[in-house]
Amino acid sequence: MTAIAVTASARPARPSHAKRNIAALAVLALIVWALVSVDVELDRLINLPGRLWSLFQRMFLPPDWAYIEIAAPAMVASIQMAWIGTLIGATLSLPLGFFGAKNISSGPVSNFVRLILNAIRAFPEVVLAVVVFVPIAGLGPVAGALAIGIHSIGTLGKLTAEAVESIDPGPVEAARATGARSLQVQRWGVLPQVLPEIVAFWLYRFEINLRAAAVLGIVGAGGIGAVLSNTLNYNRYDKAGLAIIVVVVATIAIDQISGTIRRRIIEGAGAKRPVGDELEQPELVEAPR
Amino acid sequence: MPAGLLGALLLTLWAASSQFGIDFDPVRLFADLGRGREILAEVFQPHFAFFGRTVEPMLETIQMAIIAATIGCAIALPAAFVASRVTAPGRISFALSRGLLSVIRSLPDLLYALVFVTALSVGPLAGILALIFFNIGVAAKLLSETVDAVDRGPLEAANASGAAHVEVVRTAVLPQVLPNYVAYSLYVFELNIRASAVIGITGAGGIGNTLNAQMGFFNYENVGLIVLEIFFLVLAIELVSIALRRRLT
Repeated sequence: MTAIAVTASARPARPSHAKRNIAALAVLALIVWALVSVDVELDRLINLPGRLWSLFQRMFLPPDWAYIEIAAPAMVASIQMAWIGTLIGATLSLPLGFFGAKNISSGPVSNFVRLILNAIRAFPEVVLAVVVFVPIAGLGPVAGALAIGIHSIGTLGKLTAEAVESIDPGPVEAARATGARSLQVQRWGVLPQVLPEIVAFWLYRFEINLRAAAVLGIVGAGGIGAVLSNTLNYNRYDKAGLAIIVVVVATIAIDQISGTIRRRIIEGAGAKRPVGDELEQPELVEAPR
Repeated sequence: MPAGLLGALLLTLWAASSQFGIDFDPVRLFADLGRGREILAEVFQPHFAFFGRTVEPMLETIQMAIIAATIGCAIALPAAFVASRVTAPGRISFALSRGLLSVIRSLPDLLYALVFVTALSVGPLAGILALIFFNIGVAAKLLSETVDAVDRGPLEAANASGAAHVEVVRTAVLPQVLPNYVAYSLYVFELNIRASAVIGITGAGGIGNTLNAQMGFFNYENVGLIVLEIFFLVLAIELVSIALRRRLT
């Protein structure tokens, strides 16, 4: 056996990190720019912890428990707003999702639909409510539901299109072979394959929409957001504190219920892992193509 | 499934009813569709000369997003390790941090903004704080789930070598999740651009502030321009962020 001489020169050269370092420097420069130029006075920063603590005390130590009589019905209205909004989004996004799927519709059509879906997503619910739906539907939760519904179309349509694109082509061919018309092929060959996944998306979107519905009241769309906005405007911190507690409890409870249902839809009864949480991976939820 | 369908239907009737719900009536809605016509007509004729006065608030929106993403993600990094089953230092801290994170996540960005504006008066500081809380929630959740799924091999090796817990996390887990962490940070920044454009409506600084003021003056042509600018900013940041994230993972 011959010994292989290991010399320093035989080692591979260190890979260049120049690109990575330049990127890191650029990010750092951006952060420094933001910190230096943002309009925040230093003396306010020093007082910050004290002010936050006193706010916390006034809100939660103790909250005005009796205010639940007002806050609970308002939260229910927010939940209803989110539910109706999700339904609007679901109903409108289903056909759009099919038209956006490359394997179902033609290339130009699917590209065009995808473009529209991406454009819709770039208008936040609050902006939609303020600019479009409060003028049309007037102040109140209906405007909120419409804003939530239209904004949801973007994400739901895209997720639906991706679900349709990943189907097994077998059932589609089988349906064609029986002489089914185009719509019948979609109904019997495609829809049954994607429906569980899509319904899980809808429920997941309902959870997101609930958070939007809780704040749309700030711009006049009713629900618990209106209560919060009013109590804070009149410096009734203990009442606002209770409203916040109501939002937290209701949101977490509904997340749990919705998560359980999603898990049962995707995995059937008896599943343990909270499937659907992976939906929160940003690539799946928000990234357009 | 029929039971589920029936439940969903009942829920919908309840939510839409005029007596128990939000009084959602599509027929009436279609009849009233023309009601917002004057306002919408103005929104769709953006007043481009207003652009000069939106530049500064736009920059403030971007600054708020950058600062909040930096601080929020910096806090989320250790928080995610405490809140992951794989790397939690103990059961109690695991349960506590999980609970705290889900409370933080259950409150929307705009609500934080509303609270901080009341506490600290108007300005970007309130907005930055609101975004920081929002970011901790998102980034810590995403990262702790990634940590849950790491390859345990390096972890066992580091443990066997007698490394302390912090060292194990730093040498065996952190390198595995670092690309994801950077990608999530970018994603959080992208969300912030979206969010910081609207939280200003509460007075928390940025372009939302201008939007709110122009609405107060009923200058809907200016509102139209601001909406258009938000749209293009969100789209541009999203495209850049997605391209960068693709290269990372």
